[in-house]
Amino acid sequence: MNESFKRGAREGVRLMLPMSVGLLPWAIVTGVAMRSTGLSAVESLGMNLIVYAGTAQLGTLPLIAAGAPLWLIFLTALVLNLRFVIFSAALAPAFHGASWSKRVLSGYLLVDGLFVLCADRLLRSDDPHWRWGFYVAPALLCWSMWQVGGLAGVLGAGVFPKDWSLEFMTTIALMVMLMPMVQQRAMLVAALAGGLGAVLLRGLPLRLGVIAGIAVGIAAGFVAERWTEKRRRAW
Amino acid sequence: MVEGIWLWLTLFAIGSTTILTRGSFVISGEGARLPSALQRALRYAPAAALSALIMPDLLLDAGAFDAANPKLVAGIVVALAAMRSRNPWLPFIAGMGVLLLLRKGLGW
Repeated sequence: MNESFKRGAREGVRLMLPMSVGLLPWAIVTGVAMRSTGLSAVESLGMNLIVYAGTAQLGTLPLIAAGAPLWLIFLTALVLNLRFVIFSAALAPAFHGASWSKRVLSGYLLVDGLFVLCADRLLRSDDPHWRWGFYVAPALLCWSMWQVGGLAGVLGAGVFPKDWSLEFMTTIALMVMLMPMVQQRAMLVAALAGGLGAVLLRGLPLRLGVIAGIAVGIAAGFVAERWTEKRRRAW
Repeated sequence: MVEGIWLWLTLFAIGSTTILTRGSFVISGEGARLPSALQRALRYAPAAALSALIMPDLLLDAGAFDAANPKLVAGIVVALAAMRSRNPWLPFIAGMGVLLLLRKGLGW
């Protein structure tokens, strides 16, 4: 194996270690949530492997439980994953010249923490071997933590009595993700409008209320941003 | 509940959004600057989507609006725990604790 690949891998793993351990509680909770929704152990582990995206997994569980149509679940997952388009666009130059299979694998492995910690140094390096090590090693570390934590949650979920309303863990997990986002006013407006929109529009057929609510929320966030900007300028 | 072969199809459909979004530019290998209006819309999408999934669960009871239900009380506790503490387990323990106490302990 190439020397600079190894160096990159070591540096990447060292950088990622604390954050990857922080993935464990999430992975465990997601494992428990999948089982409490009614997925079998094999289906839950399959979801962890196939989807490998906490937000999209937790976010689609209520829709799977409700028996929503496939296209609606797909659309909701797409919205929940949209932020990755921004990461992918920013990171793409670092994979210039890499083989197709490496790029597909890199896409699958691109989680939030990886982008936050590694993007800057990846884009500044000229050495493709170092870059590949610095990306794929911490990426696989995160992936392993997610699969191991998920397995623990999936196997551990059976310990709790059925009538403990454990499916509420899904909502708690989604809330914990949402709270840091809404410190900003326009983001708070987007969240409130999206949530209330989904509640008020729940009567729409095919559980379309969720998607309609999301659209209302995005529009409200946009308007709120415009409005705060205008006020700032007027002062 | 989506079940059987439909569930597997659904899982692959959800998984395809992972590859579609994360892989979008990485796989095509071209860096790009997205139009700023689109970038801003994408910024609000996760918050709007998370909330659109959370609020119906907290505010509705069997499909009807009910502001006084145990899940909403538990949800408020979760929000406070998530804001005040850095402990990743606390929101889960506090939220589930309150919900179980209200439902099992007080029979709400």
